[in-house]
Amino acid sequence: MSTSPIQDEQGHPIAIRVRGLINQFGEKVVHKDLDLDVREGEIIGVIGPSGCGKSVLLRSIVGLITPKKADIEVFGVNLNETDRAGRRDIEQGWGVMFQDGALFSTLSVRENVMAPMREHLEDMPVSLMRELADMKISMVGLEPDAAGKRPSSLSGGMRKRAALARSIALDPRLLFLDEPTAGLDPISAGNFDTLLRGLADALNLTVFLVTHDLDSLGAVCDRVAVLNRGKVLAVGTLAEVRANPDPWIQDYFSGKRGRAALG
Amino acid sequence: MTSSQARYDMLTETSGRRVMVVEGDWTVFTIGPLDKSLRALSSDEAPDAIDVAGLEAFDTAGAYLIDRVLRMHSELVDTPAVLLGDHPNAAHLLETARAAVIRKAEDEPEHASWRAVLERTGRGTMDMVNEALGMLAFVGEAVSTIFRLLLRPQRIRWTSVVSVAEDAGLDALPIVSMLSFFIGLVIAFLGVNLLQQFGAQVFTVEMVGVLMLRELGVVLTAILLAGRTNSAFTAQIGSMKMREEVDAMRVLGLDPMEVLVAPRLLALIVMTPFLTFAAMLSGILGGMIVMWTTLDISPALFIQRIYDTVPGQHFWAGIIKAPFFAMVVGLVGCRQGLLVEGDVQTLGHRTTTSVVQAIFLVIVIDALFALLYLELDI
Repeated sequence: MSTSPIQDEQGHPIAIRVRGLINQFGEKVVHKDLDLDVREGEIIGVIGPSGCGKSVLLRSIVGLITPKKADIEVFGVNLNETDRAGRRDIEQGWGVMFQDGALFSTLSVRENVMAPMREHLEDMPVSLMRELADMKISMVGLEPDAAGKRPSSLSGGMRKRAALARSIALDPRLLFLDEPTAGLDPISAGNFDTLLRGLADALNLTVFLVTHDLDSLGAVCDRVAVLNRGKVLAVGTLAEVRANPDPWIQDYFSGKRGRAALG
Repeated sequence: MTSSQARYDMLTETSGRRVMVVEGDWTVFTIGPLDKSLRALSSDEAPDAIDVAGLEAFDTAGAYLIDRVLRMHSELVDTPAVLLGDHPNAAHLLETARAAVIRKAEDEPEHASWRAVLERTGRGTMDMVNEALGMLAFVGEAVSTIFRLLLRPQRIRWTSVVSVAEDAGLDALPIVSMLSFFIGLVIAFLGVNLLQQFGAQVFTVEMVGVLMLRELGVVLTAILLAGRTNSAFTAQIGSMKMREEVDAMRVLGLDPMEVLVAPRLLALIVMTPFLTFAAMLSGILGGMIVMWTTLDISPALFIQRIYDTVPGQHFWAGIIKAPFFAMVVGLVGCRQGLLVEGDVQTLGHRTTTSVVQAIFLVIVIDALFALLYLELDI
């Protein structure tokens, strides 16, 4: 697997480089000239107040929203300059997990995991797809009997795991997660964090994690990016970010919940 | 992605050790064609070691495939794979794949096909019986709720009654009248054409009058309601059910029967006779226009003739069915909505069932009425 051709000042290879992102909905400016680098192989946690455009940033990168203006490079490929085929190649290299899982409710968990394989792999026999899907389901810590179930008969935590299994179906290099632990109890959320850390190490993933969960930040993220007022306020390790004097960041980390979670 | 093909080679060393040499990219995008030949390997051919020196891109899918070959040696399941050559993440990924496949799902035993046929037939029959029983139970529950509400009218949700009455009644008026008008036109044309052969074309007036008043006005209205309102009821209540709003109501002490079902039923029962009346009138209007243009029977004459020759009991025989059809449409729609479960597919399925069942029941009940009228000589 080749490393990314672009690097930041410290020489880390860069998986995602966002430059000059502008997003505007009507009068409301969500991002004004936002810059962000995601290093290869890291788990970056993106935090910020509700409505600051964390999910919009994620959606802009994966192409669900067309930003007003942006230069986004993924593994050195500028998304503005790719054609359809190039775009498809890049899309095959990432997995996205949405907040509520967004599993196809008419398919079983196994079929959900097989769905991207069916779409992108022409020459793979269905029997192998089934086996691979079962492996992914097992990798995310679901019992084998969950594979044949419909998403509606799974618990919230299991649904998130199934969604994670689908997002890694094609062994992506990049994983986008939109608040994966929202709505889970602390123990399930903790287990999910452990799982994510383990998978990221095992599969050598770069993870773009939008989160509200302070525990997740401490447990799994290599670096943290704080979004507010349309910009990245601070980016760095958790300790570096916490040392930032910005009042919102201080509020966020030194509030009761912040202190309880991070000590 | 530019990727090189996945290749493998089986070598036997002089020591008798079998080595599988893997080369190229072994990723989810490249391993597809190899599945068949690797699956066909017998356990004697299974390799003891893997040479990964020529391996390029590698992921868990590739690791799974290689691991599957290794697992053919049952005695090797607990020991890590023997790897020759260097690769940055091969050992690590093979370990990951191994860890994930140890637990194996048990497949459901498959039954013989004739057994499956019998099973399906039995299941289908039981479903039908259960459906009929369920419907009866629901009718009973709804009727008792409505009577309870009639005794204490202050508990009726008038806002939703009026809102449904507007939605399902008033808003349906144009389409019901228009449809019925066209059917009236068609019947009159047919009548004139057919009866002309006997020189009895003037009797088309009676035909249009009787048909519209007694049967078509009310049946057309009911079928339109089944397609329009009944499906809307199922979808509304069904999506509330999906988002657990119905459960929330129960928890808050609100009876869904009282809050959701009763207002819809009441509104429909009140509005359907009016809709039916409009359907009858516009059907007759359609007939009148045809008679006027083809036979030169003036509207005044037409109306006079209907007065003289079509007894009023036909009107009552028709309009009396309207509340019954309204009940059927409303009950089926609400019941199917409440039967929706978590996923989107049941919503679609229930909506279809709802429309089909409502139209079916409307026609069956219409036939029952016809029998009853026959006995009563109406």
